Amino acid sequence: MASPRIIMKLTVTAARKEPGDVLVIDLKHTRKPLLPPFEPGSHVDVHLPDGKVRQYSLCGDPTDLSRYTIAVKREDVGRGGSAWIHEAVAAGCTLPVSAPRNHFPLAQREGPTLLLAGGIGITPILAMARALERQGMTYELHYFTRSRALAPLLSVIERELDSSTVWLHFDDEPETRQDLESLLTTPSSDAQLYYCGPPGFMAAVDRATAHWPEGSVHFEAFQPPEQDGAPPEPFTITLRDGTVVPVAADTTALAALRRAGVLLMASCENGVCGTCECGILEGQPLHRDAVLSKEARTHRFIPCISRATGVLRLDL
Amino acid sequence: MTWQGTLLHIHVAPAASYEMEELTEAQLIAGRGIVGDRYYLGTGTYSAKPDVREVTLIEVEVLEAIAQGEPRIPGFKAKLAPEDHRRNLTTRGVPLGHLIGKRFRVGETVLRAARMNFPCKYIEQLLGIPGLYEGLLNRSGLNCAIEVGGVIRPGDPFLPIDE
Repeated sequence: MASPRIIMKLTVTAARKEPGDVLVIDLKHTRKPLLPPFEPGSHVDVHLPDGKVRQYSLCGDPTDLSRYTIAVKREDVGRGGSAWIHEAVAAGCTLPVSAPRNHFPLAQREGPTLLLAGGIGITPILAMARALERQGMTYELHYFTRSRALAPLLSVIERELDSSTVWLHFDDEPETRQDLESLLTTPSSDAQLYYCGPPGFMAAVDRATAHWPEGSVHFEAFQPPEQDGAPPEPFTITLRDGTVVPVAADTTALAALRRAGVLLMASCENGVCGTCECGILEGQPLHRDAVLSKEARTHRFIPCISRATGVLRLDL
Repeated sequence: MTWQGTLLHIHVAPAASYEMEELTEAQLIAGRGIVGDRYYLGTGTYSAKPDVREVTLIEVEVLEAIAQGEPRIPGFKAKLAPEDHRRNLTTRGVPLGHLIGKRFRVGETVLRAARMNFPCKYIEQLLGIPGLYEGLLNRSGLNCAIEVGGVIRPGDPFLPIDE
């Protein structure tokens, strides 16, 4: 089970609009000069007034702990969190924000690093590029957006990163376009790839990197991958002590476990944050999450969204 | 047993996992808790069984001891600031472990010691201090009921009622 994190009341010191319907928010602690440290790839949980929790990557400078910076894209067809933030958040207001957690760390490797970002997926990737640049590491950043006018944080990239390592790809500027298949054809033997973006982009990079060695490809998704549309089936969970927990078709494993008295932390409840992760002892899981690696899928489970067929014995 | 102690700090948190905030004055409500605290508001983290948790106390002497290390846990040493331990009141000179079932006074209020607090793994994970759970075993403070409500402030004396 992932650890709980301290929730801090942070003050919004600035909120500015960026292209692509993105609000960039700077936050500082209400009482303390420094915030908890974070590594590139980290995210924080923002706690909304209705009790919902949303994850946002920290896209600011990890060496400046006087503030955190997040960038929130307004998703009107989403679950309502970003719309509330766009409407309600302004300089001077207070937001409850968790200490950072990192599910998307940069591996400490000598080889070259390839960073791919689609749209608002630039947020964790920008923090990574900054860190690699500061460490003098070899990296390439490819940033894919629909157009220059809709590319969030483009001005920051152009101001702060070495332009010779950054490739910008705009759908509406044919000469800048880049085919993912050819970009990812031949992995150099020691390269590491990190990517983040919307579901279509995630699926395309996933396909194009199927031949990359296990352990060389790292990603973070904002939404779980699209499902096949088959209606959920009931299944059964058993616990270490033998307790049997039936999971009805219209409920989640997380909800059923909680009803059975299992104390499980959860955050996004959408299969992307990994807070409710637990171990599998036996059974056939149907993974629906966007956090577990292929290797982890053999023995880990995300009960807020994943299901199973038959009986699933969990390490709880 | 005659003793006299002092209230050093008052801390509350608005909900589970929120950072504790220090108060210079607190309002205690009989049978409920500290105004603004998670256990008063019903937004805390705690086991489901019925229990008294209106106000929690811990001795600063325990914090000073675990800052020195703990022979039972090799390598363990924890610097816990009064805002880190997640108990409401930090005391000096109050023998919390000897007060179960007894009443005592602090500020305008009368508290009744209900049971020893039991540490939870949750705080160890929340603060990221391995060994803290074991380090706090048997000395993680006292859970009290509020018999008479009122105002308390840092510096208020603690005085026994039931000897």
